[in-house]
Amino acid sequence: MVLEKRLKPIWITPLVIALAVASIVVLVVDGVGASPSLIASIHIGGFGEVDYYASQPMPNVPPGLLVRVFLINGSVIEPVDAFIDVYANAPNGIVHVSMGYSTTLIVPFSNVNWQYVINKWVLLGVSSSEYETSMLIFITYVRGNESWILPLVIPYNVAWAIKNPRYIVVNAFINVNSIKPSEVIPAMPGTTAVNLQLPSNHSDYTAYNCDLSAPKPPPETAFKPEITCLGFNGSLPATWVTLSNGVIQNDEGLQFELNIYFSGTINWDAMAAGYGDIGTSYSANENWVLSSPTYTIGSQITQPGSLYWYYENATWAIVNYTVWFVNSSMGTYHLGNATVFEVLYVPPNDHYIGMVLDYGNGSVSLLYYLASKHYLEYPASSIINYAAFVYTGQEYLYQCNGPVTNASTTSGTAYAITLGGVNTAYGLSLAELGTGLGGLALGISSMLITPSTSSSVTSTYLEFFNVNTGTSLYISVINASAVYGLPTFGFILNATNYYGGPTSVTCKYNQWVQIG
Amino acid sequence: MNVKSLFWFFVGFVFVNFASSLWLLLSSVLTITPIPLPYWLLYTPGNIVTAGIIVASLMLALYAYLGVALVLNKMHRGFIPITMVIAFTIGITLLLVRQAIPALVILVIAYVILIGTYAVLISVTTSRASKALWGVATIILALMPPILIGGGLTVINYIRYMALVEQATAIMASAIEAWRLGTHNP
Repeated sequence: MVLEKRLKPIWITPLVIALAVASIVVLVVDGVGASPSLIASIHIGGFGEVDYYASQPMPNVPPGLLVRVFLINGSVIEPVDAFIDVYANAPNGIVHVSMGYSTTLIVPFSNVNWQYVINKWVLLGVSSSEYETSMLIFITYVRGNESWILPLVIPYNVAWAIKNPRYIVVNAFINVNSIKPSEVIPAMPGTTAVNLQLPSNHSDYTAYNCDLSAPKPPPETAFKPEITCLGFNGSLPATWVTLSNGVIQNDEGLQFELNIYFSGTINWDAMAAGYGDIGTSYSANENWVLSSPTYTIGSQITQPGSLYWYYENATWAIVNYTVWFVNSSMGTYHLGNATVFEVLYVPPNDHYIGMVLDYGNGSVSLLYYLASKHYLEYPASSIINYAAFVYTGQEYLYQCNGPVTNASTTSGTAYAITLGGVNTAYGLSLAELGTGLGGLALGISSMLITPSTSSSVTSTYLEFFNVNTGTSLYISVINASAVYGLPTFGFILNATNYYGGPTSVTCKYNQWVQIG
Repeated sequence: MNVKSLFWFFVGFVFVNFASSLWLLLSSVLTITPIPLPYWLLYTPGNIVTAGIIVASLMLALYAYLGVALVLNKMHRGFIPITMVIAFTIGITLLLVRQAIPALVILVIAYVILIGTYAVLISVTTSRASKALWGVATIILALMPPILIGGGLTVINYIRYMALVEQATAIMASAIEAWRLGTHNP
């Protein structure tokens, strides 16, 4: 009995009652939605995590964007001071919104520059439920004579700035072991930011300066950012097929059709050179079922080029970010730069879509050009040696990394390649393609806590007719999501080898069929 | 039997629930506030899962204590919470090693035994108010799965409120029982 008394001090019973009451109060506060509840979460590679909270507005904490910077060094993860620079994506350009040197930066929806951008979206007259835009963030961390720049794109809905306020919390991870540092170097007189070059002649799009920055905020730090924004307005490729000169000469009479089917929410992701996918810059509801006419090589198509489906009146941009450190006693230092390719706007739904030929000056040529100039990088897995029609005394269909189906039609046997979109399990599996196709879907894993009703079906479909004995055709597939962040595929047709003339070809599917 | 040993179960029940709901409130409010915080304090999916595992472990330890205390007092119903703890431990372990289907089966069984454990609590509590509150909690616990299965995601908000009321009822029941055991010396 004495032991019982000692174990049960007199204050414990009232304390238990008090804690029980407090717990119930907290539960009720949480239950009525007064405290923030996590509604969605996105991982952006290993660079960042975006968490979305629904909440009643908190006193002294306006809804909007909150950036937190963490340094990852081995197993240590700790808040760290960095230069945080925030831009808002508008339908036709980017606008500087806020910056600061700290471990956290809050940008309320009420920020004047952000409101300016929100207003541009509202003026489009498109319902906010039809699309989502994004914020573009650059984080620069300097240690000794090394610096790390992290570009991130944070999707949001403009309705959150007007009603249904959300708290968007970005946890950015500067992993000094996995992100390549830049060298901090004194700026030579006349040093300027990277100058983006463009092909001299072009059609189907116009290029312009898309830095719409309102008057710059007063300098808060010794960090000086510099933005070059090269905007494009016009035909954004939805899918394409490119034919080499050899195909035009060797495969006269060969016919093909290029079809696309899509229904649901489609995401265009921003890509940064050296980083890959850095987040969804724009998403919209799209719905189309489109079949091209049958094109005949030699009659309708007489020179090398691309045939492509496009969204009309879309906007996309290449943003180059350069940051300097200015110190009155030490001078100016160049800390590094980052280049981002992002889609800013695509009209929702199937109002503006068409098909056009690109003989070297259209939008598909622009994409190839940008990749060749290293503004964008081809990851090793982005080009797939898909299949080939090969003539070696007999005509063979060689299915290298995926199946080619055939069907009898009134105009002979039709051979078809069907690829699923990156948003769906429909179509080919990863194993069948044997490559990193769908890397986009794997790199960005989204955890939705609230049930999502959006579903999507998408497929890209290339069909050949009039394949004869003697046809020589190598079909390569570009997983455009891995290179450009465009959720689509491009086909490249060559006459004598796969695209790029690989010295060795790895085939995971590897099936031969004799035809003809 | 020596029901006094159950006093610490009820005290523990209230403490763990208080700690978890306090973490929930503090973490969620601080996360959206622009002050520097260590990453582990943020209200992120990963940290929520970690906190959930810690709370679940503490609760399972308490139920294990309850079961052992009852069995030591020659009350064989103590095997019900012990079985439940074992089932939940296996289920969570399977979940952590990504065996989703077997994990789900075991966790459903564990949930049913949890309802049984609540029934055990009704039988061992001494105050009438506590018995009634555990009774309400048991009924809500038993009703939630059929409503969720019948209504699907459209009733998810009602399920949330039911879970909230269930938790509040269980906390109150524990506090009342702890108060009774702490102040009455039979």
